[in-house]
Amino acid sequence: MLVALMHMSHFGAMVFFALLVSVAFACAGRRSILTRIKYALWCFLLFLAIGVGIAWLMYPLSR
Amino acid sequence: MATEDSLSTPRTRQNPAGSALIVVAAWILPGLGHLLLRRWARGLGFFLASGGLALAGFVLRGEIFSLHSDDSFGALGFIADLGSGLFYFVARILETAGPDISHASGDYGTRFLAASGIVNLLGVIDAFGIARGRRS
Repeated sequence: MLVALMHMSHFGAMVFFALLVSVAFACAGRRSILTRIKYALWCFLLFLAIGVGIAWLMYPLSR
Repeated sequence: MATEDSLSTPRTRQNPAGSALIVVAAWILPGLGHLLLRRWARGLGFFLASGGLALAGFVLRGEIFSLHSDDSFGALGFIADLGSGLFYFVARILETAGPDISHASGDYGTRFLAASGIVNLLGVIDAFGIARGRRS
């Protein structure tokens, strides 16, 4: 597992970060277990969508 | 629907000393404050989130800021890193090779370590709210 962490790609690092921070947000923000899972999933998907969206917006600047 | 709180023993509002103990416990070890308040799932969630970010940050050889930083960014980084409690001190002890910020992964590691502390501070605030009876 440590080796996998050491060789994370940029996208992998973003997914890992999004997953753990979403779990923390859900733990702090929601009370019941079911709403917590839904909220964590929603945060995770938003993290990924916004991250990929910003990457696409910045793509022309890299050329 | 059963909530985590309805499954656990109802807690009365903590006195100020009890709340302070909860805050210190939650800071020292992420999730411990919630465990003392019998919020098992939340305690586990904060432990995994903060611990996972700290572990990744350490493995990626992110920069662990010290108290004596050269600039304000370093001071903010120190506050953020310190938020992860025990993980910060363990990382400081185990860090021998220094940060590797010459690669992007090292820079990610620095962010992961800071995020670990911020996530734990969020947990500390949540535990304090529960201990004071402001949150369920």
